Amino acid sequence: MQAEAKALDSGSVSQSLSTRSAAGGRSGGWIGWLFALPHLILFFVFLLGPTVYGFFISLREWHVLAKQHPFVGLANYQAALSDDIFWIALRNTAYFVFLVVPLGNLVSLLLALGLGQVRRLQTFYKVAFYMPVVISIAVVAVLWQWLYNTQVGLLNLYLGTMVNGLRQLGLPLSAFQPIPWLSDPHWTMPSIALMSIWWGAGGNMILYLAGINNIPPDYYEAARIDGANAWQVFKSITWPLLRPTTLFCLVFSVLGAFQIFGQSYVLYGGGAGPGRAGLTLVLYMYQQGFSQYEIGYGAAIAYLLFAIVLAFTAVQFRLLSNREESRS
Amino acid sequence: MKRFLYRSQLGLHIVMLALALLFLAPLLWMLTTSLKTPEDIVNGLGAARWLPRPATLVNFHTVLNNVEEFPIWRWTGNSLFISLAVTALVLVVDSLAAFSYARLRWRGRDQVFAVLVATMLVPGQVLLIPSYLLIRQLHWFDTYWALIVPAGASAFGVFLLRQFFQTIPVELEEAAFLDGCGPFRVFWHVILPLSKAALATLGIFTFMATWNAFEGPLIYTDSLEMRTLPIGITIFQGHYNIQYGLMMAAAVLAAMPVLFAFLLFQKHIIKGISLTGLAGR
Repeated sequence: MQAEAKALDSGSVSQSLSTRSAAGGRSGGWIGWLFALPHLILFFVFLLGPTVYGFFISLREWHVLAKQHPFVGLANYQAALSDDIFWIALRNTAYFVFLVVPLGNLVSLLLALGLGQVRRLQTFYKVAFYMPVVISIAVVAVLWQWLYNTQVGLLNLYLGTMVNGLRQLGLPLSAFQPIPWLSDPHWTMPSIALMSIWWGAGGNMILYLAGINNIPPDYYEAARIDGANAWQVFKSITWPLLRPTTLFCLVFSVLGAFQIFGQSYVLYGGGAGPGRAGLTLVLYMYQQGFSQYEIGYGAAIAYLLFAIVLAFTAVQFRLLSNREESRS
Repeated sequence: MKRFLYRSQLGLHIVMLALALLFLAPLLWMLTTSLKTPEDIVNGLGAARWLPRPATLVNFHTVLNNVEEFPIWRWTGNSLFISLAVTALVLVVDSLAAFSYARLRWRGRDQVFAVLVATMLVPGQVLLIPSYLLIRQLHWFDTYWALIVPAGASAFGVFLLRQFFQTIPVELEEAAFLDGCGPFRVFWHVILPLSKAALATLGIFTFMATWNAFEGPLIYTDSLEMRTLPIGITIFQGHYNIQYGLMMAAAVLAAMPVLFAFLLFQKHIIKGISLTGLAGR
């Protein structure tokens, strides 16, 4: 993170230099426009435009096959707020965020702390932890469906062996009951969260590692001389100095976690899972928009999600404000 | 002894190695399963045998040869073509724009750039419905256009490259300008050659993200021939369901290209993430 801040600083230096930059100085300005134009066209048509357009859609009763799309004001939003299934989807999504953001960041941070310590094989470990990140969610979900199989899945096989081994050692455990990872509503979200943490932990790990590597070694040297133990070093040096990284990772984890879709979609074949326990906001939007063809209602769900994410982001950016000032 | 343990970090390595195996195990299990016969999958040593016995390629054979129902070669071709096309589009369009925001002056530049940065916080899923309608109106539904052109709108690459371009000393450009170069020649002969690493990073990110894209191909296409590999996987899944050997063979085929690309370019990728602060997903 500090590397990033540094890059931004040197950026602003060269930006002030660019006021006397030859290329920009004498060519009037329309050339600059021209360079930016191809991207700007795409940006306006396929990103900014749809972002605004989506809001107008959400204000209309918009069925795909209908010729007319009458304006209905906030009726779609009111419908969503009094729709029990919308609330189920919101609750499931919030539960997922609540599981995946703290736990996922904890895993990423611990892995990064380990990586920061090792002197050999660092690349090997990094590659191993990052590898799941580069795989498509479709592959990840299909693979974990197999690992989660109740009868012959790897997870239950090993858990069974472990529990039985402990029993033979005389621990007072009851016989192992295979865990219905994906078929019991109570297990659905924890299972999806575990899979998602495996899939994504490597990404934030790299960011935490970059943050750790940017802490000046002098601090650690001083702590060593003072005879601090590992926990004290972490508590009073690494953790506070890593704060910007931690907040940055949290913001983007929350942003990503609220948008969960592929996991449920692939695991439950486009359905909502047992007792709708796998239904998330984006999946519900997809079902309404593309299976029920209630485009207007789907857009309203999308904008409610947008509002929730924006509120979360705003709160977290408040916490980040010192850093963000240098950013813009 | 204690000193040796401290020096060699033995304890730390044992923990890290165990964790690394834990992270790799699902992938290895995917590969193992894909090489097993159905009986071996369900029964072999209580189904937890790590080495297939006998090892067989029959799953791959089945997956690759049922082209009527599962045109996997076509899907692979689609994924490859779309990923390459998006990567090319993004590299061209974003490098031009990033040069403009980093070096050229025009009215409103900084305000426009601020809008670009702000939209990086728009959740991509919000765009699905309006983009779908737009693609319908453009008659791009179920075509390559729908999966290629909109992907060029993202501001991520512009942001990444601008940040990199700003680290290039301005003096180099001034020298080029004194030699009579216009902005485009400065861009082409000075900026781009110095930015190969950044361009490679953005290119790899874009390729992998497009290869793995899920929502777009799911919503903007609907014919069997226009699907990409990730959607193809879900089509397999609907058909083979619990025939895990076949499912894992398909999964291995879909995952292999990105895994190879990652192993090949891991240095660039990991450096790119730590420099830009964005995981590229």
